[in-house]
Amino acid sequence: MRDVSDEVLVRRVAQSDDERAMSELYDRYAGLVYGAGVRYLGDRALAEDLVQDVFTAIWRGAGGFDPQRASFVTWVYRITRNRATDLIRRRRARVRTVGGDASFEPGEDDLTGELSRSFDLASALSRLSPVHREVLTLAYFQGLSQSEISRRTHTPLGTVKSRTTAALRALRESMTEDG
Amino acid sequence: MNTHPELSDLLGLYVMGVLEPDEEREVEEHLEGCPACRDEARDLRLVHERLADLANMEETPPRELRDRVLTEIPGRRMRRFPLVAAAAAVLCAFVVLGVLFSTGFFAPEEVASADLKATDLAPGAGGEIQLYGSGDNMDVRLEAWGMPPCKADEYYELWFVGDEERVSGGSFTVGPSGRVQVDLNAPRLAGAYPQVGVTKETSPGPPGASDNKMLGGELHKL
Repeated sequence: MRDVSDEVLVRRVAQSDDERAMSELYDRYAGLVYGAGVRYLGDRALAEDLVQDVFTAIWRGAGGFDPQRASFVTWVYRITRNRATDLIRRRRARVRTVGGDASFEPGEDDLTGELSRSFDLASALSRLSPVHREVLTLAYFQGLSQSEISRRTHTPLGTVKSRTTAALRALRESMTEDG
Repeated sequence: MNTHPELSDLLGLYVMGVLEPDEEREVEEHLEGCPACRDEARDLRLVHERLADLANMEETPPRELRDRVLTEIPGRRMRRFPLVAAAAAVLCAFVVLGVLFSTGFFAPEEVASADLKATDLAPGAGGEIQLYGSGDNMDVRLEAWGMPPCKADEYYELWFVGDEERVSGGSFTVGPSGRVQVDLNAPRLAGAYPQVGVTKETSPGPPGASDNKMLGGELHKL
């Protein structure tokens, strides 16, 4: 399942309500959506609402996803941005004292700036070959050393080292595809 | 094309800062005399920094959230329901709901309302709001007409106004028709405020109300 592309997984969800495919998509992107929620909504409970909203929308909208128009991650980004904006506006219903402290409140600039760049990078990462994606995921997102990656993947250390550099180069190329 | 295959393989690890000290020294000595490898190291460092930022942003959500999302996705059970049974269930539900609606079973209690009158900024506009509910949050139904349509960066915001503070009732936009009917929500205490107003805001902008008040009215408790 780990080698299956996002686009194939979402098609399985759309065509056959494939729960394993949905779980795999969750495992790949829930951390990104949750992290974005914590950062931009500033509230873990709201971030959990965001994750629930986004993955419910993915489940319901899988049939309408068109891989010719955008990558899966780009689609997830748009859903995340829209849901987060809804949550921010809902939160504005809280009491505001006239002339009171302007406590930090994320604006839509935040949602279209750094958030957009983060999802662009995630999209570029998703287009890498499985071996390149794996070595970068283990190094950056799971914090494994090169030796640990070698043991985890049953791959010679020298191969892991050269593969890591190759993966960074491939990611650089994939990022330029996004402009 | 890189002509230093062995050192070239180490460039990624160099920018990641995970080389052994002797390997790192070897790469640095090479970079001093090789502009092509310096350029590539600079590019890879940018990729490394972006990846590090992304990894820093990601957070592992609570385990129970995964269970909740994947087992309680709304509509999942319905989609798996046999088609005929689902159709029968929907028909029964409509009949029951129709009876309940017709008897006012679901009608929330209206607790306050206001007629909204135009200011000089929105001549010819008008509107009304009703507040419903008895919990911590009230449902607010707003209808307005004759409103200037919003530009791309504009939206309207509803305010409940007291003597020294105001409470946002949420935001909405208005299209070319100038008409809008929208359901918002507000904290319960908003219903105790004497006045309501609608301002035009610009995004991004400061969190408070702007001076562009378009509609205003007195809130009457029922």
